[in-house]
Amino acid sequence: MTRTKRAGILWHLLALVAILVTIAPFAWMVLTSLKSPPEIIGTQTGILPATLYWTNYGNLFDTEFFVYFLNSGIIAVATTAIALAVAILAGYGFARFRFAGSRPLLLIVVCAQMFPAVLLAIPLYKAMRVLGLLDSRAGLVLVYVTFALPFCIWMMRNYFLSMAVEIEEAALIDGCNRFTALWRVVLPPALPGVAAASAFCIILVWDEYLYANTFIDTDSKRTLSVGLASLMGQYTTDWGRLMAAAVVMTVPIVIIFAFLQKFLTHIAGGGVKG
Amino acid sequence: MEGPAANTMSTTAERGTVEAVTAIAPSRRRPRWLTPTLFIGPALVLMAVILGYPVINAIWTSLTDDFLTKPGAEHFVGLRNFQTLLFHDSTFWTTALRTAIWALANLIPQVGIGLALALILNRRLIARGLIRSAVIIPWIVPTIVIAFLWLFLLDPTSGPLNRLLIELHIVDSAPVWFADPATAFPVLIVISLWKWTPFVTVILLGALQTVPYDLEEASLIDGAGSFQRFRYVVVPHISTSIALASLLTVAYSVNNFNGIWMFTQGGPAGATDTLTTLAYRTAFKSYDFGMAAAISVVIFIALLLISATYFYVLEGRRNKGLRRRGR
Repeated sequence: MTRTKRAGILWHLLALVAILVTIAPFAWMVLTSLKSPPEIIGTQTGILPATLYWTNYGNLFDTEFFVYFLNSGIIAVATTAIALAVAILAGYGFARFRFAGSRPLLLIVVCAQMFPAVLLAIPLYKAMRVLGLLDSRAGLVLVYVTFALPFCIWMMRNYFLSMAVEIEEAALIDGCNRFTALWRVVLPPALPGVAAASAFCIILVWDEYLYANTFIDTDSKRTLSVGLASLMGQYTTDWGRLMAAAVVMTVPIVIIFAFLQKFLTHIAGGGVKG
Repeated sequence: MEGPAANTMSTTAERGTVEAVTAIAPSRRRPRWLTPTLFIGPALVLMAVILGYPVINAIWTSLTDDFLTKPGAEHFVGLRNFQTLLFHDSTFWTTALRTAIWALANLIPQVGIGLALALILNRRLIARGLIRSAVIIPWIVPTIVIAFLWLFLLDPTSGPLNRLLIELHIVDSAPVWFADPATAFPVLIVISLWKWTPFVTVILLGALQTVPYDLEEASLIDGAGSFQRFRYVVVPHISTSIALASLLTVAYSVNNFNGIWMFTQGGPAGATDTLTTLAYRTAFKSYDFGMAAAISVVIFIALLLISATYFYVLEGRRNKGLRRRGR
């Protein structure tokens, strides 16, 4: 038994190393956001801040940071709601009706990952200009919804496929139509899939920079990614303030993932299985 | 977008009973294709307008001399943009080569380390859920945060890494990591590995969880050592996931714009330029839409060829395996 015990300790040590590599930089980010300027530029040393210097966070109120935060929040909620409504319908359609088959769908999902974002940036920029959606949050939502769709549809389809058809047939005979059956019988057990797809949409919106940067001109409509990049230019040496902004931007994502931890494999694997 | 969905809801609700019958026998009152179309219609329309149309439009633009500053004045020029790129532009080839290096330098370590991490996280560990989340964090955190973080950690004057290196007398003067053409690209590769390896880990972890326990058990009884078990039981079972993770890693790294632009914008002196940042700069700094579209079409075609080869090889292997087993 000692051999397995020793192996167990070894695996734990390896896991510890992995955590240190991934977490230590973030820990440093949080510590730096609470340090005073002399501590950050190195005239005073020490790993932990001497006192918690909240001024870095207070300084964010002098910037448009919370406007950016609100914009990203609104866009994330709108994108997630619309993308899921459309993807649930389509995922169900692909799971329950006979089309040319699932291979073309898989092909679209895979191909959509291949499109260089830059390839679409030019025609979308021109299209947005024609539609009058340039420099508007609605335009960004429209673009994000579409980019999230292939993955979300694939995810929902796989969930619906894994569920027994019998209960649904019973509901249909009991007087449900396809839509009410979907809403009342099929959707509730598929909620983990919905959660995973939502997380995917939120990460997408929180991270996206290229389109938000090219389509939006007005400062008050900027999203977090673009807004933070502009703060970087304005406060080059004020690392305390920049780290505070980075911490605040990270918090919502970490909270969401604390709740979704057990669905993580679905989020990356949604395009894999099936 | 919610409009059409809501409309279809109400019309079908009125015909609830008819719908129940159609599920069993096709109705005469409604064509059979109608219900499926209502379900997938909104998604298809959106994808056709926002994904399909731009792809076609971008391919068209790559055949014109379109400039942002001269809208509506573009002419069809055939393959001239591609000719210029492939035969008269040395920057294109240096950048293409760098993009290939970037893709390989991302692919090989990510799959190797990613698999090792997945094997570790698949063990019976104390607080396994917490450990898994901790390891996966770099992947879920937005790239701009990663950029802030590493630009600070590697900052020449106030960055903690340089201070540590000087204190330990490893270097005499502070290296300027992102401003030195010799170090900028390798540093970006390391940061990219740090951010993206967890993604491969998550995919492979999902695959490892589907390896049937009795299969491993049986190999134990047959006296297989842990390496043999890994080589002959685990690897074949997850090989499809490894292949897909590799393909996605190549596509993501070639298309990775943020992971370069936010740190160096392709600089210093083009030392970290990939085709993606080159296309962006050509479009939105030089305003040469035609040429930029041509570059991105080249990226797209290259990725399509790589994935087609991948699927071809994968299918061929699978068929061969089936034949060997006598099916």
